[in-house]
Amino acid sequence: MFKKFSFEDISAQNQVKASVQRKIRQSIADEYPGFEPLLDDILPKKAPLIVAKCQNHLNLVLVNSVPLFFNIRDGPYMPTLRLLHQYPHIMKKFQVDRGAIKFVLSGANIMCPGLTSPGGALDEEVLEETPVAIMAEGKQHALAIGYTKLSAKDIKTINKGIAVDNMHYLNDGLWKMERLE
Amino acid sequence: MAEKPQAVRVLYCGVCGLPAEYCEFGPDFEKCKPWLRRHAPDLYPDLLLKEENETDADKAARQLQSVAISGSGDGAGGDASSAPSGSASASKQDEVKRLPGGKIKKKEKQEVVIEKIVRNKRKCVTVVKGLELFGIKLSDASKKLGKKFATGASVVKGPTEKEQIDVQGDIAYDIVEFITETWPAVPETAIFFIEDGRKVAAA
Repeated sequence: MFKKFSFEDISAQNQVKASVQRKIRQSIADEYPGFEPLLDDILPKKAPLIVAKCQNHLNLVLVNSVPLFFNIRDGPYMPTLRLLHQYPHIMKKFQVDRGAIKFVLSGANIMCPGLTSPGGALDEEVLEETPVAIMAEGKQHALAIGYTKLSAKDIKTINKGIAVDNMHYLNDGLWKMERLE
Repeated sequence: MAEKPQAVRVLYCGVCGLPAEYCEFGPDFEKCKPWLRRHAPDLYPDLLLKEENETDADKAARQLQSVAISGSGDGAGGDASSAPSGSASASKQDEVKRLPGGKIKKKEKQEVVIEKIVRNKRKCVTVVKGLELFGIKLSDASKKLGKKFATGASVVKGPTEKEQIDVQGDIAYDIVEFITETWPAVPETAIFFIEDGRKVAAA
């Protein structure tokens, strides 16, 4: 999704009003319960929260001009990888085998066999249409953020086709966008 | 979770910007190697086997390389994206081949094709083709669409004398549900989007 993403894709940046800020904060807290004690650190109440609108109904949440979260339409807010690297435990994790890494890093969606093979691992509780962190065999840090198409159970039973949509991965356009001015 | 989890500090490669452990999958592992040897020797033990001592010439070369990297990274992205577009053009050719026997195609498959065309950067038109194949009156349909999405919707003669509906605004996302609801004769599986010249099933 962020394969080709640059400053030109941002059509408007606005400081959002307090009620919208509250809403964003609330939905992030709901989506990631482990994140709640950190919310004040990451989204300080005092600092202005800026929402950048991009093409294809994509929104980026910026604090101090650093992109922290993104969402599509009214979908769930997902952290950027830089934020996830700092707080890796906020999201449910899937692990892909080593062979899949290079495909994921060029933007491919995560296929079922890459998760079910010996090198992969699944968080059993994950349902379909939830954001997950994609980890890799033998690596500490997440390499992508995805949005599940199937629940963990279905991934195991069907074991074919796309399991997780790749939303954001290392070295894509959003990753390179460390700061926005 | 009573205690606040501390922020993890991740070691990012100074050359390619990825976390150091992913350098081997990065745009150019070779150029990261000198940096890795110095900053994260334990991540790639086999690198250590090679000579440790770096001369000043090495350093200078590394600086040059880091400048060159941004350029090469872009190039790699372009290469990767060119592959899918190749397959897209192939599927287009298929369509063209089928078109001469227009009548056959009509009988063959009934499908609704939805395409989003960007006008003016941030304005777009959603084109709906093929509704007539399901016995739907286009003028009625355009009126309904216009009413539902509160935008202009009109029946337009498209290419090859076929009529299509142009709806102003980007409604590609919501239109699937609307079509299946208002016209039960249209199954969701017969609705397709066109994304970068490729047909994608809506369902």
